[in-house]
Amino acid sequence: MKYISILFGILMLISMGCAQKTVQIPPSDQQHLQSIQQGKYDFQGDGKIKEGEIIEEELARRERERLKDASSYARNDFMQFKDILFDFDSYSIKNEYVGQLDAMVNWLKQNKSMTITVEGHCDEKGTVEYNLALGQKRAEAVKAHFTRSGIDASRINTISYGKELPIDPGHNEEAWAKNRRASFKLN
Amino acid sequence: MKKLSLIGIILGMCTFFAVSIANAKVYLDVFGKSYKKITIGIPPFKAEKPDKLKTDMTDLLHKDLDFSGFFIVAPSTLIDKELTDEGIEKQEIKFSNWRSIGIELVCKSRLIEKDGELTLESFLYDSFDGSLMLAKRYRARTGEWRRLIHRLADDILLTVTGEKGINSNRIVFASGSRSRKDIYISDIDGQNIKRLTNHRSICVSPSVSPNGKYLTYTSYREGKPNLYVFDLENNREIFVDREEGMKVGTNWIGNSSTLAYSYISGRYSTIYTLDVERKDKKSIMRSEGIYTSPSFSPDGSKMVFVSDMYGTPQVFIKDISSGQTKRLTYSGNYNSSPVFSPKGDLIAFVAKFEGSFEICTMNIDGSNQRVLTSGGINDSPHFSPCGRYIIYSSNKGGKSTINIMLFNGENKKTLNLTDAEETQPRFAP
Repeated sequence: MKYISILFGILMLISMGCAQKTVQIPPSDQQHLQSIQQGKYDFQGDGKIKEGEIIEEELARRERERLKDASSYARNDFMQFKDILFDFDSYSIKNEYVGQLDAMVNWLKQNKSMTITVEGHCDEKGTVEYNLALGQKRAEAVKAHFTRSGIDASRINTISYGKELPIDPGHNEEAWAKNRRASFKLN
Repeated sequence: MKKLSLIGIILGMCTFFAVSIANAKVYLDVFGKSYKKITIGIPPFKAEKPDKLKTDMTDLLHKDLDFSGFFIVAPSTLIDKELTDEGIEKQEIKFSNWRSIGIELVCKSRLIEKDGELTLESFLYDSFDGSLMLAKRYRARTGEWRRLIHRLADDILLTVTGEKGINSNRIVFASGSRSRKDIYISDIDGQNIKRLTNHRSICVSPSVSPNGKYLTYTSYREGKPNLYVFDLENNREIFVDREEGMKVGTNWIGNSSTLAYSYISGRYSTIYTLDVERKDKKSIMRSEGIYTSPSFSPDGSKMVFVSDMYGTPQVFIKDISSGQTKRLTYSGNYNSSPVFSPKGDLIAFVAKFEGSFEICTMNIDGSNQRVLTSGGINDSPHFSPCGRYIIYSSNKGGKSTINIMLFNGENKKTLNLTDAEETQPRFAP
């Protein structure tokens, strides 16, 4: 019964002509549908056109997956870039972070379609208003490092959160040191 | 937001009674170097029937006058039955009895409650010679009894000190948790708290125009810190600055509808003035580095601001017409958030000391610097419209709260407003 219905379906399709773009599957035959979706179905004889279509679709999907892999590889690669830290009331980039920023420049050069956001943050000390300004300066200092190395300014957004979003809620020097940071987000 | 005059307090009857009034006599020179608090006796209000409202109103008047910092309110235990039973008219009062228990001023009131309306007749006497200093009749809907008392307290302060009190003022502030912070408005006593924004985002740096019509703040609602001007009367946004970068630190110039704020982007900071009614934005200063927290003298001729032009944040003053800039702070490596007093004679600011950030004041030439707080992170000072009080936020390791004190640092009080972190308070009309 099953094969008869499949055959019937195929014959129907052929009779509808080669211009038919999609594979018409009798809705009753779920297993058949699944097989096609998984690209496993092995057509015999007259099924050649349909087979070609299925293969073409699979290629497109593979291409998408390949691109997705590349993008997710770049994204994963980007994850290695940790926050860079600042001294109290300072927006100068410390020498120890120049290596990471240069690696980020390389990453930006390799992934030309990507844009990023640099977030400037501060510790809880000092005034709310001055810290909002200081956070902006921290983000701008990082952006300036990138643009000096040839990265187009339009690819780097900056934003300051002042002391609004500490990553460590503590009230001690250890927490403050972690909170005085620039962090990086992919757009 | 409605103007106070529209909320139902009918003050048409504030006619001075035809009695000789100690006119324009200022009892307390509060801007002097020191002053003595005045002892005031407030017997329970007279009313046809004793009820809770009468007691609540008397209690609130006690609180308001105590809060002002200029009075010692005589405890009710000191006022015996004889004094309580006395009438409220001058001829019914034995002032020698009041003098004998050390009371300098006596405030007596009669409360009439009828058809959902309150009428309060209040008299303020000087116990020294029995002179009538204040006689007013207030009417309000029963539900507005708190505002009625605040008005009476402010009038007593005006009579005694020559300046209105702040009991009828309101405050705006930012409150909330990490990544969810809104702007709130509240009466100064913590009543009638209302949330003004609902952005599911971070809102900071609120300020209300001197006429009470406009609210400005910086919000991350659109993913970036943009500056918004909101028309409170018509309930709509009238201006947004969406330039890339930080827009923050608004202060209104004098009593105008023009505000100043700073914009930090790239290598530069810019101080803008914005006439919110004409949408007229002008750059008045642009330099490399950080220039923020602009605040103008009441006549608009001078501007204080904070800048790191010498490496650390310090307070500067700029004469607008000559363009000359002078540094005001030299001690310490962190002086920030300067704000002009409404009389233009003082500047409040925040200074860093060993592990703490304190509210300080100085004269406008940088002299006579005084530290007013002790310990913790104190921030965002702002003067009351009368210039006698400073509101600020304080965090001593727990949660950040809103506090108020006299301009000389005396009479500190914590306002209990919300359970959440409260920051950046500003007075609002």
